[in-house]
Amino acid sequence: MTQQTHDLDLTACEREPIHIPGSIQPHGILLAIRLSDRTIAYASANTAEIFGFDPADALGRPFDEVMPALSAEFAAQLDDPPAAGNARFVRTIQVHTAQQERFFETAVSRSGDCAILELEEPPQGGISSIDALYPTLRRFVEQLQGASTIETLCHLAAQDIRRMTGFDRVLIYQFDEQWNGTVIAEDRNEVLPSYLDLRFPASDIPAQARELYRRNRLRIIPDADYTPVPIQSRDPAPLDLSDSVLRSVSPVHLEYMRNMGTLASMSISILRDGQLWGLISCHNKEPKRVSLQVRNACDFLTQIFSLQLEARENTTLAENRVRLGAVQTRLLAHMAAEERFIAGLVNHPDDLMMLSGAQGAAVLTQDHCWCLGEAPTMDQVRALFDWLSDNHQEDVFATDHLAAIYPAAEAFADKASGLLSISISKVHSSYVLWFRPEVVQTVKWGGNPQKPVQEEAGSLRLHPRRSFETWKETVRSRSLAWDRSEIEAVKELRNAIVGIVLRRAEELASLSEELRRSNKELEAFSYSVSHDLRAPFRHIVGYSELLKKEASDLSEKGRRYVDTIIESAYTAGTLVDNLLRFSQMGRTALKPRTVDVAGLVGEIRHKLSAEHADRRIQWVVGDLLPVNADPVLIRLVFENLLDNAVKYTRTREKARIEIGSSRKNGETVYFVRDNGVGFDMKYIDKLFGVFQRLHRMEEFEGTGIGLANVRRIVERHGGRAWAEGALDRGATFSVALPDHDEGAA
Amino acid sequence: MPELKPILLVEDNPKDLELTLAALEQSQLANEVVVVRDGEEALDFLYRRGPHESRNTSDPAVVLLDLKLPKIDGLEVLEKVKADPRLRQTPVVMLTSSREESDLVRSYELGVNAFVVKPVGFREFFDAIQDLGVFWAILNEPPPRRNGT
Repeated sequence: MTQQTHDLDLTACEREPIHIPGSIQPHGILLAIRLSDRTIAYASANTAEIFGFDPADALGRPFDEVMPALSAEFAAQLDDPPAAGNARFVRTIQVHTAQQERFFETAVSRSGDCAILELEEPPQGGISSIDALYPTLRRFVEQLQGASTIETLCHLAAQDIRRMTGFDRVLIYQFDEQWNGTVIAEDRNEVLPSYLDLRFPASDIPAQARELYRRNRLRIIPDADYTPVPIQSRDPAPLDLSDSVLRSVSPVHLEYMRNMGTLASMSISILRDGQLWGLISCHNKEPKRVSLQVRNACDFLTQIFSLQLEARENTTLAENRVRLGAVQTRLLAHMAAEERFIAGLVNHPDDLMMLSGAQGAAVLTQDHCWCLGEAPTMDQVRALFDWLSDNHQEDVFATDHLAAIYPAAEAFADKASGLLSISISKVHSSYVLWFRPEVVQTVKWGGNPQKPVQEEAGSLRLHPRRSFETWKETVRSRSLAWDRSEIEAVKELRNAIVGIVLRRAEELASLSEELRRSNKELEAFSYSVSHDLRAPFRHIVGYSELLKKEASDLSEKGRRYVDTIIESAYTAGTLVDNLLRFSQMGRTALKPRTVDVAGLVGEIRHKLSAEHADRRIQWVVGDLLPVNADPVLIRLVFENLLDNAVKYTRTREKARIEIGSSRKNGETVYFVRDNGVGFDMKYIDKLFGVFQRLHRMEEFEGTGIGLANVRRIVERHGGRAWAEGALDRGATFSVALPDHDEGAA
Repeated sequence: MPELKPILLVEDNPKDLELTLAALEQSQLANEVVVVRDGEEALDFLYRRGPHESRNTSDPAVVLLDLKLPKIDGLEVLEKVKADPRLRQTPVVMLTSSREESDLVRSYELGVNAFVVKPVGFREFFDAIQDLGVFWAILNEPPPRRNGT
């Protein structure tokens, strides 16, 4: 390999075949016995020093012939070898070596068709028997019962592992979903610095190393400066040491250790449902050996710890659910209290954010955008909303690395590297979004635990210092992951909101059904009014007229009575006509076209003049602009206005009625001014109401619906109607109709 | 002197009937006014069947047809008349108390010759009926008689 230190890619670690290093650590010896013929297939080179023979001479020879005593000790194990993935601690045995009696702690594991026997001499300081370890284990189990939180639990485990092993520092290290690790508990002396709360990148423990951690729960490196002992064999295939306890470790890892200032390390895997949850990581500044018996006790303790952890995690999850359930209940109450449920969310940003442990949130509908807490800008949120609407319409969407799928998020990584969103309505495209900031900012680096390492010439190894820089690089734009209870909580909020939205929709549907029914009833009503109510009035009028003709001897008084009957019935009949017209106006469609208002007014004037031939009316007609409107309805407007003007000037010796128009601000305004009886401006609000009359019946006839019709017609055209007047000093009625592009219709 | 054709008045309401007859009377039309009281009888008259099987009157100059009738209503009568090639050219004036636009639209779709909403005012009502009578019975030039009819 050539020098390429600077470009060395972290994934190189992942490719390193660490399970077949071809060597072991020097604190024990290794023998692999082929199960088929019980010959020695592999042997570590250091067998020579201990057993006094060259392994090369032993290879291929029967085990019981070369080492009869040892073979006898392992006979039972070889008859029933452990399955792959299960290393087995046997016991401490006594072996007569070339020089003297020696004690060994032994372990057996399986590798292909070989049984691997590993022997370690117990470290100085005597044998820690199970009896000696028992009180610690018992106390640990007792204390576990009282530990209510995961933190306490982890702290206890760290303490007891350190007590049993005597390492300078014991860390509990937890993986996240991306396999980055965080130190969540620690027990140590003052020899090594604290790593509590530090985060380590996933690349520190590459995938195949994690697989070995999962498979082989306990590993120890007593001295990072060790010289590996090669394994010898006649077989060209390297021996798979996945389950070995002495397996030599990657030089990268050894340098990592040296850089961290720890010459000895031990790690025990914490598994949950067969998955790697975390590690108990032990460090010592100086080289340190731990007996196999103690290591096994640590493994045992860790397994108890794992079970407790699982129970506590489940409890915590349940507690979180309860806590988030309370937040959710509050949010629901807020929503229920508001006219629009969205206001319930927007007006209580703290609860909304607490629901998912977010630092910012946004609520979006097609028309509105509310940004709450630490959120990106409104424009950024809107753009994100568009992107979500196009790409993520699923009910719940969560990512802790938004920028990876939505590059524009780089710009606001400090606010929203993590996004959790729920879509409330697909039709109206409404979302609630929660944001989490970039995680690098939330990491407590606690100074620089690693001394920068000078690169050695020709070294291809990664240096931790550099690795941390790379780590920072790889975690950019990432947030803490959304956990299960948080995602569930927002999912439930979504269900609740959808429930509200659906209920509202149902209410609306039933309202519009109600409206349709009442419209139908109104139609039926107006039809029967049209047929059955007009006729009797017509008959009364008709028969009264006939009576008047027939009864020529009718007295003056009698004649007046008949006239009154005719007049009353006529008024009632006209009222029915007007009412009907008023009710039809809302139902019939407008058929606008250009109306020649000047011509129209001319016709109406002509008719009115004929009807009131006995009166002196001065018409002052100005320039009347054409308008785009429904010709039938607009005729009704002018008929009403002119009819009123004629009616209310009746008391004048000389009536003056002025009509004109002007166009400004996109509308055409018409006015009809008279010098009649006028009205008091304090009744202006009543003037255009249905059945609203300002004069006594005997003064001026009418049904009180004419001006209501005027206003309704004008408003249906998008215009306005208003009036000005003074009592006994005339009135001016105006209508404004908006200009439309006449070429368009 | 051309033959004076009758006016067929289809009206179920006795009061409207009386008023209409009074109005027609005043118009001093010489035409006979044939009164039938429902749609079925109107069709019987037009098709010369039932009680009108052996009528010796000629076909009407105009049918004054009330819209709302028992049994067969005015719109149905209109539809039958206008769908029949032999009767199609007989003018039909729809008389109604209704101001319903849908009735108006439907009548014109079926080919009505005129549609009159009976006015409430006596004078207006009389004028309308008399105008109709005069127009359709006297002024209107009927289509030339074809062979075989």
